[in-house]
Amino acid sequence: MTDRRRMNGPSGGTAPPFFASSLTSKTASPTQRTRAPDELRKIFLKTGLTPSASGSAYFELEPSTPTAASKSLASKAPALKLTCTVHGPRPLPRSAPFSPQLLLSTRIKFAPFAARYRRGYIPDAGERDLAAHLDTTLRGVLISERWPKSGVDVIITVLEGEEDDPWNKGHLNENERAGGWGMMSILAGCITVASAAIVDAGIDCIDLVTGGVAAIVRQPTAPLQVYLDPCPSDHEEIFAACMIGYLQTRDEITELWTKGDIKASTDGHGANSMGFEPLVDQAMEAAVAARLVLIEAIKESTGMKVQTSRIGHPKNAAS
Amino acid sequence: MAATTSLPPLAYPGLPLGSSTAYIPGPGTHLDAPTSTIHASLAGRPTLTPSIPNPKKPETSKPTISIRRLLPSPTHAPTIPSANVSNTNTLPRVGSVVLCRVVRVRTRQVDVVILAVAREDGEEEGEDVCGDEWQAVVRKEDVRATEKEKVVCGEGFRVGDVVRGVVISLGDQSNYYLSTARNELGVMMAKSEAGNTMVPISWKEFKDPVTGKRESRKVAKPF
Repeated sequence: MTDRRRMNGPSGGTAPPFFASSLTSKTASPTQRTRAPDELRKIFLKTGLTPSASGSAYFELEPSTPTAASKSLASKAPALKLTCTVHGPRPLPRSAPFSPQLLLSTRIKFAPFAARYRRGYIPDAGERDLAAHLDTTLRGVLISERWPKSGVDVIITVLEGEEDDPWNKGHLNENERAGGWGMMSILAGCITVASAAIVDAGIDCIDLVTGGVAAIVRQPTAPLQVYLDPCPSDHEEIFAACMIGYLQTRDEITELWTKGDIKASTDGHGANSMGFEPLVDQAMEAAVAARLVLIEAIKESTGMKVQTSRIGHPKNAAS
Repeated sequence: MAATTSLPPLAYPGLPLGSSTAYIPGPGTHLDAPTSTIHASLAGRPTLTPSIPNPKKPETSKPTISIRRLLPSPTHAPTIPSANVSNTNTLPRVGSVVLCRVVRVRTRQVDVVILAVAREDGEEEGEDVCGDEWQAVVRKEDVRATEKEKVVCGEGFRVGDVVRGVVISLGDQSNYYLSTARNELGVMMAKSEAGNTMVPISWKEFKDPVTGKRESRKVAKPF
């Protein structure tokens, strides 16, 4: 029996047009890393952009190569655009049991147009996995016992999310081996933007948490090296990558996600600087660099808030 | 406040503000026990509150560092000077004075929703308006302090009344527990059966200025 109560789409579904890549060889890869190994992509971060939310933030990573340099619109290097809204602290639903602390719920959703391949409206396993990672990251930062009997929702929408290598899908052999690296940059961005939005909502935190990524990468003309903030389409082959959520003041890590084969990358090269711990250290460096942007964004919005609250309360302006 | 010169003008979570040997951590800050350093836990302007000197307890004579929570986003400034209207909630705590509206009167309790929480930090007067409505109850024995056994809920409250109460407990899974057992607590605003706003005439009666009818309430003493 078909569902008559809702407006359903056509039963067969629709297929968006898909264009074959005109790129014929690997050398036609549209981007090549031009940054220094320890240089991050430029970050734009601003809080308080969604008036209906208790706290909000917008995060953007510029494309690794400027759009003007590329010949066509289609070969544009992928950027990362995230928006985060925080709702709460708000009352728990009536059915929820008594909670002496703040209940956190996180959601990450890719917009259908976020990547070259369209996504559905229901969160898939990958999105739920990212949300679970974000949940553990934020849980270690919030002082949840100061907000009894309430819940907070952290909702992140990925407006544009980079793919691993969007324009070389013809070379499926390489891509199967190197799949999923882009998720780490997205999660690192999610952690930073969620941290900004939670501070904007005025929820107690022990520290600011930021995400950082480092990867062991082989470049065509260079030996194996650790790169900060890798963009998968910039690199020929990524061997291993590490994503951390780092609290600098307390020197604590609330989230650690590593992937790949570190041993395979070091074998035969004898490079001692390629181990697990140096990789984590480099990811920490990336997180510390992102923190500078986060602090500036928070200072900017807090300064404005202090001013408006003084204007609103003339009594306060005198003190 | 000359003492605030040692504090940064703007703090963000994690910023160290001072040692716990010199200060007491107040709202908006937290104490890192291993290093005994007070860190900020909110973004805002840190302020020092000097304590009242108490010779018996020198421990309490340290000034308190606190950071007030900034409610409105910079995109919309507060429209009512005495209240911060925003989508953010200030949580009622035990001892908070709250304003609420009666939604249901039962024989053993009065169901209310909390609309606003009075500020406690002393820097500014007024109330923080809650973005959401928080469920609360006034139980029959918490309506007034004397002759508790003779309280009839229907004679103290009507649906739609605006009540000032004090939070006595975080309560159960859904309700905060409030008390109105003080002179200045109780019904502040009420409408008569005819629909007119009434004026208080005694500790237990309101009067409709148009029809002249009297209705019984647990009246809050006007300031």
